[in-house]
Amino acid sequence: MKKIIATIQKEWILLRRDVAGFMLLFLMPAVLIIVMAMVQDAPFKDYQELRFDLLLADNDHGRLADEIKFGLKQSKNFRVVDSVDGKPLTEAQLLTLLKGGKYRVGIVIPQGATAEVINAANTVANRISEKIGMGKLPAREMRDSMYVRMYFDPVSKPTFRMSISFALDKYITYSCSNLLVSRLGKLGMAQGETIDTAQSDEFKRIFQGIGIKEEPLNDKGQISKFISSVQHNVPAWAIFGMFFIVIPIAGNMLREREERSALRIQLIPHAQNYVALGKIFFYTLICTAQFAVMCAIGLWVLPHLGLSALYMGLHPMALVPIALCIALSATAYGYLVGIVFKTATQATPFGAISVVIMSAMGGIWVPVDLLPEVMQNLAKISPLHWGLDAINHIILRNGNIGNVIPHLIVLLAFSTVLLLISLYVSRKHTHSVQ
Amino acid sequence: MTHAIEIKNLRKTYKGGWSPALDGLDVHVREGQIMGLLGPNGAGKSTTINILCGLVSPDSGSATIFGKDCVTETLTLRKMIGVVPQQIAMFSNLTAWENFRYIGSLYGLSDKQTKERAHDLLVRLGLDKHADKRINRYSGGMKRRANIIASLLHQPSLIILDEPTAGVDVQSRAMILDFLKEYNQQGKTIVYTSHLMEEAEQICDEVVIIDEGKFIVSGAPLELIKNTTDCKKLEDVFLHYTGHSVRD
Repeated sequence: MKKIIATIQKEWILLRRDVAGFMLLFLMPAVLIIVMAMVQDAPFKDYQELRFDLLLADNDHGRLADEIKFGLKQSKNFRVVDSVDGKPLTEAQLLTLLKGGKYRVGIVIPQGATAEVINAANTVANRISEKIGMGKLPAREMRDSMYVRMYFDPVSKPTFRMSISFALDKYITYSCSNLLVSRLGKLGMAQGETIDTAQSDEFKRIFQGIGIKEEPLNDKGQISKFISSVQHNVPAWAIFGMFFIVIPIAGNMLREREERSALRIQLIPHAQNYVALGKIFFYTLICTAQFAVMCAIGLWVLPHLGLSALYMGLHPMALVPIALCIALSATAYGYLVGIVFKTATQATPFGAISVVIMSAMGGIWVPVDLLPEVMQNLAKISPLHWGLDAINHIILRNGNIGNVIPHLIVLLAFSTVLLLISLYVSRKHTHSVQ
Repeated sequence: MTHAIEIKNLRKTYKGGWSPALDGLDVHVREGQIMGLLGPNGAGKSTTINILCGLVSPDSGSATIFGKDCVTETLTLRKMIGVVPQQIAMFSNLTAWENFRYIGSLYGLSDKQTKERAHDLLVRLGLDKHADKRINRYSGGMKRRANIIASLLHQPSLIILDEPTAGVDVQSRAMILDFLKEYNQQGKTIVYTSHLMEEAEQICDEVVIIDEGKFIVSGAPLELIKNTTDCKKLEDVFLHYTGHSVRD
């Protein structure tokens, strides 16, 4: 027993003296708990509890459009964006904004929608009035092609699309019901007068008069690919895996410092710069190869397991610079961890847990737009978010290299900042020896 | 004879250190000699070596190698000096040959040059049959010898060795010392630290004893023994000047 207690005491003294390691033991899980609790909170909430920006182009300018807008604005779930720079949003602008990836859903109320609903209501009212011998309202033949069009960012999940569709349907039904009641009122029917409308075909037609239709966001002839398990998981976890390069890079650098081969490099004129560049180049290539292998699995292995094949978009070559930039960010991060930490005991848990945290923040686990607002803002500091969003532009939105240039700039800036910090810390370490 | 190394009034106190590591040290090393830098633990030997190879900056004073300043001309100097650190500064998962090829390339040597130079040194230090073995499979003595080869590939004019024979067997030590003498005969200057006085007496043309960061005495080993009262060997001289108290 005495020996066990002595061992416990010894371990406690060692742990207490490794202040950084001791802090990491508590600090990193604390950060992980906070981030994961916030991230995982979203899937436990219904979509009803979340709030989304919803683009709305009103080509109707009538009562139906007003009532749909009113209903959407009253709802806690939507922030309706129906104007840009003080001018009403056009359908073309709506499509451009959606393709940009900032918004998830857009609704276009077609020109003449109100007129169509009124016509349908008049038609139904006339049928009813015929039975009870009342007046007649003007009505023409109903059209079949009038729809409120919904456009979704391909990144949106099916449940999200369904909930938007239900909500919209509710507002249209409500609007149509109001119109019908008003039409019947014009015919002189008392408010309390009962009509068996629930079973009548005519009443159903009023709702078909203006239906809802989901339109593909992509241009004509392009393949529309919505997010699926494969489309999300292959790029997301490939990026996650790429960032795990932090463990071998930092481990390798610390081992070289411990076995003093780093000192040998330090003694060779200019060698340190070349060695650093060589390391960064090498690990960037390894990470890129990792990404290629993951894509190959998505393309050729997953279909054999009953899943769909990974769709690479219309410009798959654009994935090459994206993968290179993500790989460089991951390598730069690993390099920084390898420089900052003095022992593998500190670097390994920090590296692993920080990657998990960054991935959670960056939308690898749960799409960013489902996260609380504070987390959506924090996501912007995670390179994994920029990487995943860039890939989504290519493989979901059929984008090209031009669409992801801002993402590439952010990833390159992230890498540059990390490498500059590494350089600074490395020089500081050299001076602190003095 | 010109000076290979000139150290003048060198001072250095580390952050948090309660006493100076170097306290006005003056040392001169003539070109072509083997100079032993001796001193008890904490005397300032390693700090002196680190300043000479540009790893540490002094607070004041100057240190030059072949007339070049160790602080401002570090990069030029590193081409002229070969440092054999006390630790085995090699990639343990690489073979000796892989290590030499990599280090040679960082010095700007061609594969052919590295191969020729490494081969000569491997033969001379008895490692030619083990060049394809990983360093982590070497014995302590083999690692020390490989460590020396790695520091000599660029054919430096001055070699600084920090306890090159620490922890090696008698055979390896003899081989290393013979090699150093032979290398010195090619006109190379050697600065060498050790706690083994017998070894220093055996190979050094001159020894410098330093203590508490200050110069104490210098001279040829036999001359020092002769001129110091009641001393029969260099160890006696060392104890005479540095005392018997244990250093921390």
